[in-house]
Amino acid sequence: MARTVPVSESPDLDRYPELKERWDRRNFIRSAAAGTLCMAVGGTLLRIAADDLTKQARAEKRPDGRPRLPPGQRTLEALRAMGGEEGDGEVRNFRLRVHGAVKSPFEVDYAGLLKLPQVEKVADVHCVTGWSLLGGKWKGVQIATLAEKAGMKGDARFVILEAWHGFTSNVPLSDAMKDTSLVTYRLDGKPFPLQHGAPVRGLVPDLYFWKSAKWITGIKFVRDDEPGYWETRGYHNHADPWKEERYG
Amino acid sequence: MADVAGLVKKRWRAWLRAVHRDVGYLAVGFTLIYALSGIAMNHIDDWDPNFHASERTIHIAPIPDDATDDAAVARVTAAAGLGKPKDVYRAGDEVRLEYEDGTKVTAIGEHVTVQSRSSRLFFRVACWLHATRGKQAWKYISDVYALLLLYLATSGLFMLKGRLGLRWRGTLLVGLGLAAPLTYIVLSGGPGAPQPDPKLATTDSGFRALPSDDR
Repeated sequence: MARTVPVSESPDLDRYPELKERWDRRNFIRSAAAGTLCMAVGGTLLRIAADDLTKQARAEKRPDGRPRLPPGQRTLEALRAMGGEEGDGEVRNFRLRVHGAVKSPFEVDYAGLLKLPQVEKVADVHCVTGWSLLGGKWKGVQIATLAEKAGMKGDARFVILEAWHGFTSNVPLSDAMKDTSLVTYRLDGKPFPLQHGAPVRGLVPDLYFWKSAKWITGIKFVRDDEPGYWETRGYHNHADPWKEERYG
Repeated sequence: MADVAGLVKKRWRAWLRAVHRDVGYLAVGFTLIYALSGIAMNHIDDWDPNFHASERTIHIAPIPDDATDDAAVARVTAAAGLGKPKDVYRAGDEVRLEYEDGTKVTAIGEHVTVQSRSSRLFFRVACWLHATRGKQAWKYISDVYALLLLYLATSGLFMLKGRLGLRWRGTLLVGLGLAAPLTYIVLSGGPGAPQPDPKLATTDSGFRALPSDDR
């Protein structure tokens, strides 16, 4: 006659003490895995449920017919500091060099920049990491104005935004000449804090935000493309958020 | 010679474990820095691992355009209440004050914005090390750490024999570890995946814009 073995959820650790260590470890791993899963699911649900701004933005359209929020983006209420090697942030030391394929290259300081024709544009920006800031009021000088003042040559096809520590980003001329492409020093009536590019940064809102170089030091017009810091490190050369051109 | 070969054959797992142990000790500091800063930088769009930034706005009566520089600076300094600034600058409609601790005060119209920040000690340093950009020697030191990790990973495969080694548990867990990135690559399409059509919707007029040819 077969002997019936009682089925138990846990081994009899008093009878088999050599199993204790292994059983404890198994329980620990189970608890840790369950805890991690709960946190991940809970966090995701919380983020989805709380994100009314993103839902609202997804329902809106731009004047050009594209959705206001590019695919894969969520909306934030303020810019996020994404790192980078900062400039010194001092208005007193600020100089912007406008050069390259131009007839009259020039350099302008902060006070001089404020004397150029100013614009304030409402623009959305989209970070390649997945967040977007919508409806910011950006004040500054249009890159087109700088091109005109410097006498940009007809064969220029790209604009290189130059920043502290040798950072560059390349932008097709057609994007840089849009009326929302600026050299900007104010967002929503406030100066930029250092982590966001103070005192002056670039703004090319229709491309991923890394193109909008922080701590800007120069605008260079060129005939041949010059992929910049991130573009030579695997990020997309053009960076159109509506095509999800994140990586090259 | 045959004795040495025999000894190596008998003792190679013991040597592997001993070196694995010591390399593991060496890797502790690096791993803490890279793992914690890696998590921090993965979530950089949720928080700033480098600084704790603060900003406050004070309302004042707008400074008249014809106010002297000294008068304008005195009013903003009084409003900020932070004492004597180390530097002042006035241009256009702005009056800016800079303080020794890096605090910046900017008056524009009737708003005075006070911006300051403080470093998060560990994370700022760890993130600085993690992002090797512009750091000469550290790039090579971190290469050495990467090699140590490769050793830890490969030696770990062979440290135990039998069912706790590659015969069962090891193979299962290595398979799971490989399956996670492979599954993600397959499901997401990986880096070469075709990009979605540009969301150029048809407008009410029936006009549909085409993607730009400009690259």
